[in-house]
Amino acid sequence: MCLRCVEVTRRAMLLGGAAAAASIGTGAAQARIRPQDMVPLIGPGFKPTDRDEMGLWKEMERAEEEIAGSNLVIEDPRLAGYLKNVIGTVGGPAAQDFRIYLVRIPDFNAMMFPSGFAVVFSGLLLRMRNEAQLAGVIAHESGHFLRRHMIRSWRDERRKTDLLAIGSMLAGIGGAGAGVYLGDYVQLAQLGTLLSLFQYSRGMEAEADAMGAKLMEQNNYPPVEMSNVWQQLIGEENASARYRGKHRHKGGLFDTHPSSDARMADLRADALELTVPGKVYDARRERYLSTIAQIRPTLLDDQVKLNDPGASQYLIDTLALDGWNGLLRFYEGEVWRLRNRPGDDIRADQSYAAAVVYPDAPADAWRWHGISLMKQGRSAEAKAAFTRYLTMKPDAPDAAWVRQMMG
Amino acid sequence: MRSLGLVTALLASVALSACVQTKQYADLQFTPPQGDYKLLVLRPDVTVGSLTTGGMVEPRADWTDQARASIVAALRAQQAAHGGKVTVIEHRNEVPGVTAQELADVERLNAAVDESIVVHKYLGDYLPTKRGKGLEWTLGQGAVRLGQKTGYDYALFLHGEDQVASGGRIALGVLGLAGCIVGFCAPNIGGAQQLDYASLVDLKTGQVVWFNVVLAGSQVPGIKFGDLRTPQGAAQMIDRLLGRMKPGTGVSKGVVMTGDPQEKH
Repeated sequence: MCLRCVEVTRRAMLLGGAAAAASIGTGAAQARIRPQDMVPLIGPGFKPTDRDEMGLWKEMERAEEEIAGSNLVIEDPRLAGYLKNVIGTVGGPAAQDFRIYLVRIPDFNAMMFPSGFAVVFSGLLLRMRNEAQLAGVIAHESGHFLRRHMIRSWRDERRKTDLLAIGSMLAGIGGAGAGVYLGDYVQLAQLGTLLSLFQYSRGMEAEADAMGAKLMEQNNYPPVEMSNVWQQLIGEENASARYRGKHRHKGGLFDTHPSSDARMADLRADALELTVPGKVYDARRERYLSTIAQIRPTLLDDQVKLNDPGASQYLIDTLALDGWNGLLRFYEGEVWRLRNRPGDDIRADQSYAAAVVYPDAPADAWRWHGISLMKQGRSAEAKAAFTRYLTMKPDAPDAAWVRQMMG
Repeated sequence: MRSLGLVTALLASVALSACVQTKQYADLQFTPPQGDYKLLVLRPDVTVGSLTTGGMVEPRADWTDQARASIVAALRAQQAAHGGKVTVIEHRNEVPGVTAQELADVERLNAAVDESIVVHKYLGDYLPTKRGKGLEWTLGQGAVRLGQKTGYDYALFLHGEDQVASGGRIALGVLGLAGCIVGFCAPNIGGAQQLDYASLVDLKTGQVVWFNVVLAGSQVPGIKFGDLRTPQGAAQMIDRLLGRMKPGTGVSKGVVMTGDPQEKH
């Protein structure tokens, strides 16, 4: 139950089913699920009692141990405490039962596992502009657990594959008995089963969105921020695709999740419905930004090294809507420098020069600014920039080289 | 979770068989441990599930617990007969002298190496550079350090998974059999399936010295070739997996390896 995972196996299915799927056309958009209809299906301290669910939880024991002990986990007590606090706020009745792990993967995702532990990718922290957006994503994941989605979708899958197996067998036997070949129908039933599984999955995602929006509102986060998350993501994917000369994937029959566009629209409607006029909502931007301040350079660094300049530029511009600073300007320069198209060197130089004007400019901004001044022949200014770099980072691995450059 | 791909590949490779298969490989210079050796077994990775009518595997917590206990008991009994001192740990923090993280690193590296062994030794993707060299994989210095810190001679990694056909699956097979009367014969829809593998690592050199895979599967639901839940089934699994450990061909044929020993590592 992740926020927007892509399953590879889908491609294999696509090959076989695309043509037939087009002719059936069951992909009609689902009606929006209303937040007020979403009530948690479990209480605090939930433990499974059904046999199949106990089996699922058992499997998760070692999965959680592996994830908790993975070297991708960012071991920062402050961030861990913060995330625990956020899920403790929007986790509904299970708030105190959840575990949450932050892993260093520069991608937009978060997921909830069947036994109530969540994993948040570091790329999510980079993209969120305030605590409300982060809380929205986490509330969505809580929604999966509170609405018992894992066991419900497992049971749905088991029931449908059982029916398909029995149906196929009966069709084979019946067909043989009556002397007709029913293989085509069996294949069609197979495809129907698949499509219905994906549709069920999309339904669960829509439920989690609605549940999440409700949890946000109850905890005084502006519910509209969840919709803004999708708006930002659509913008990012468009920018990334445009740079690569491609089109953004807009959703189809074999998607486990509703399209970003549909989710954005539904969440905006949810927000309108939920927002109580006169009530004071707080996106808690300051608290969010101060908490992630220490890790933000790493998040930006991981992002610009993905070689996805379209997305990186969009992300930096989006974050800068809340105000430019030295860090964002520096990484804007890094996007240009690493992209290295004609003229990008000048753009990068301009960004570095803009970065060092801010008091929070990172040491590396001074280094690159120094190099750019050197190239322009402004050696005295370059020397000052390098001196600043070495003062900020006396143990820099390239300190000897920089001193040599300074002459 | 991490071994899911491996498992699927192994199962797919025997999709049409219905029997018990084992195939082991050993380092050329390998001699099965005998006498006074110390063996560390890192919590056997065992799961038992029920095969649903539609062919999905439903994990079962109670069966898994039974199987884990039975396998550990069977392993202790089997190793005692060889004279080895066996320690089976259930959690990574139970080995004195090493941290849970160090142990986790060795365990994860082993999982990756096992996967490589399966790909290149069992699934047909043979490497020309490893032809005739027996089993030539190593966990490197991490495993050597584990040996030095703990005093163990070998580490054994065990994986087992068993699927028991549910009542519905058996009924579907029976239906398929009944179909034979009208000419639609499909009793072989796939039934109980057991996959086990084990790797033995020499903690003095870090080398994976021995590897074995056991597949006990049946295409007809209701016919079983072993059942990890029972003490007998677990003993059978341990016997199939570890009971006939063969020495490396270099040892059994009396051949001494020549060439640069550096090359081997």
